[in-house]
Amino acid sequence: MDLTRLPNDKKLQLCRWYFKVGCLLLPFVWAVNAVWFFKEAFMKPPYDEQKQIKKYVVMSATGAAVWVAALAVWVTVFQLQRVAWGPTGDSLSFIVPLGRA
Amino acid sequence: MASFSYKVLLLILCTFTLAHSERLHEQIYSSIEGGAACFRRLNGTHQAGCSSADNGAVGVVHMIKEINDAQWLVQNGSAGPYMAVVSTVQFYDVIEIFMQQPENVAGILLYDNATDSPTAFSQESRCPNEYSSASGSTCSSTVAGGIVWNTKGTGLLRRDIPFPIFYLPQSKSDEIDKIQLCYEKFNLDKSNQKGNPLCSLQLNSFMFAAVNSEVCLRRSASSALLNPTKVCDPLGDNNVYYSLFPRTEETKSSKPVTLVTARIDTASLFDGVSPGAASSVVGMVTLLTAATTLSQLIPAKDAHLYEQNVLWTLFNGEAFDYIGSQRVAYDISKGMWPAAAPLSPADIRLHVEIGQIGGALSNTNNDSSWPFHAFVPYTNIIPEINEFLDMMTSNAKPYNTPVITPEFTMNLPPSSLHSFRRILKNVTESGELPEVLLADHSNTFTNLFYHSALDEYGKIYFSYKNLTISNTGVFISTDELLANGTLKQGDPQVKIARLATTLARTLYQTVTGSAYSGNISASAHLVDEMLYCFLQSQACRLIMAADYASGGGSSPPASAAPLYVGVAAWAGTAPVFAAHLLALLTGAQLPANRTVCDSLAEPGFSYYWLRGWNHSGVCIQTTMNMSAAVSPAFAITDYDLKSGVYSSWTESVWQAMSARVFVSAGGGGAGAAAAAGATVTVLAALLTYWLHRHADRIFAAPAASIVNDDAASGILRTVNC
Repeated sequence: MDLTRLPNDKKLQLCRWYFKVGCLLLPFVWAVNAVWFFKEAFMKPPYDEQKQIKKYVVMSATGAAVWVAALAVWVTVFQLQRVAWGPTGDSLSFIVPLGRA
Repeated sequence: MASFSYKVLLLILCTFTLAHSERLHEQIYSSIEGGAACFRRLNGTHQAGCSSADNGAVGVVHMIKEINDAQWLVQNGSAGPYMAVVSTVQFYDVIEIFMQQPENVAGILLYDNATDSPTAFSQESRCPNEYSSASGSTCSSTVAGGIVWNTKGTGLLRRDIPFPIFYLPQSKSDEIDKIQLCYEKFNLDKSNQKGNPLCSLQLNSFMFAAVNSEVCLRRSASSALLNPTKVCDPLGDNNVYYSLFPRTEETKSSKPVTLVTARIDTASLFDGVSPGAASSVVGMVTLLTAATTLSQLIPAKDAHLYEQNVLWTLFNGEAFDYIGSQRVAYDISKGMWPAAAPLSPADIRLHVEIGQIGGALSNTNNDSSWPFHAFVPYTNIIPEINEFLDMMTSNAKPYNTPVITPEFTMNLPPSSLHSFRRILKNVTESGELPEVLLADHSNTFTNLFYHSALDEYGKIYFSYKNLTISNTGVFISTDELLANGTLKQGDPQVKIARLATTLARTLYQTVTGSAYSGNISASAHLVDEMLYCFLQSQACRLIMAADYASGGGSSPPASAAPLYVGVAAWAGTAPVFAAHLLALLTGAQLPANRTVCDSLAEPGFSYYWLRGWNHSGVCIQTTMNMSAAVSPAFAITDYDLKSGVYSSWTESVWQAMSARVFVSAGGGGAGAAAAAGATVTVLAALLTYWLHRHADRIFAAPAASIVNDDAASGILRTVNC
């Protein structure tokens, strides 16, 4: 969809919709929203709905960043600690590696 | 004309097929057939044995002729990692060098040289089953020096080896010649290896299990939806037992038993190569022969005349922390063994273990001597044991062999007595369950190939005589064979037969209360056949006669049955052979046809329809039975595998084991290809850039109308979106 061909109220509606969908534990939707509407929110000359779009873009970007940080921390901790956790580590694993701890 | 073109086409096709019949990878790799790989076993706390990487271990071939070669490999080798090709003679001297500095070692290919064989070779610990020993054992594998049972043991069987090891037996010496040729062609210039094509080896023996038994069993059991891989199995098989007289719930308490035990299994580092001649087979054959002889001395129908019984038992899995005997001792302590008429420790009058015998046969192969040691783990006098040893000595007199030296010590050699002493501690240590162990060594093993791939029939100087057995199953007597020169006094067949006779007559005296005065003795002919069955070929007369008649008549392979205990989920053939031999040789032949035989059910007996001596089928009534030789660790729910109370050995699962040799590229070709690729890419980029800049020189300017047409640009935009 080409944003430039969309009226401003539809843009806001779309941006809000993406933000709400992202609330269903879908950080990637937030990330898409933030990137997609970044130009609309910060680069385009001002228009009525821009302030709201800006708000959703910032919230989506922050949410996605928090998710990325949380996942990165979890992956690091899991990879480093899986062996030490023993049975818990194994039961948290989808694929248990063969031939090593 | 048409047929002519077909012929031409066919000819072209044929030439094509002939010229390109070999696949590319067959032109590059030459596989090494007949090798046996070292594999991984795990216990409650550790992993032991070898594994390669998932896609195999690759290394440059280096033939180890002396210790210096091994030192050069780990310290100065520049084109590493290396694959050390070592003979069994060199192995003991170089293995520690590789184990200490494994960084430059990709793996080891071990081969047995026909012309040069080692004087000792054992991958078992210096103190076998050290951590399952009863109190009083002084052997320690961790302390350097000291008196240990297995002096030349490397302990590799119980250590985690950081690289794969493959073993090539003598019969595969052509594979070694192949590697030697390749090595001499490419690798001899040791100072100039880097960057040149080199003869290399790939060993593939990737093991699924890791860490310890607890972890691998947990991973095997986890019901992950997409990942139901089994990574390890508990070790185990079957114990075999047989009583002289039937034991039922009604008669069992009235007749105390003498328990006579030996073991079936042996071990080695390598998959499928565990001959175990002196480690276990001589002991097992002695027990089977003595049981056969005793059944001839005392007919089973005379059971009502005597107040005593003899229970012969063969344990399995003893190499791995006494799996079979631990289970039996545990079951006795719970009142569950044998299943039909459980034995209580008080019912056992005496326990005689035929331990490791056979090692001394190699030192005494020229004369009739075979010195024995009877280990008695008591400091006070136990009348039953003294009586037994006196009877053994007096019954051995006619042969001047065996001479038995009593050893009163708490430091027992590795044997199943350790299990009984640990698990039935209260009754054994008080002397209420008198125990004695027969072995042909004293402080250190006489068998220098304990639990190894080289513990073969040649090491006990056994040579098969291939004598015919009569249709009625009568064996030629030892005296006759000695008289006609077929056997000599020094032959293992004669010595084992005499030991079995002595043991059988002693047990006769125990049961009947009077010395044997007849002339029945164990036949060296039977021993000859039995040794051949267990050491050389399953396709032997005894096993053919003792097989199920319903077996379909397919002949078993002409190689010895594997004596390694294997995994519990898979019943081994060796205990089945031993069980059937006991049934055939000691059981009563009934005049019944197959349907009648299958329907018989007298308590205390079982019935087998076996092929018999003339292969026409015979109904055997026997007291022989089998019981599970699976460690109590796997039978007790919620058992802590780390506790070390019972054997907790498991064996890893693997998918494939293979070895192949090839010439690895020097790296020059690959470097040239990369450089050429980079150059071409840069040139192409420059050319494209130049073309882009000077496009107007080649292409005419496009018509203005196309670019400026609004409708067209709209369409393009829509498409772009």
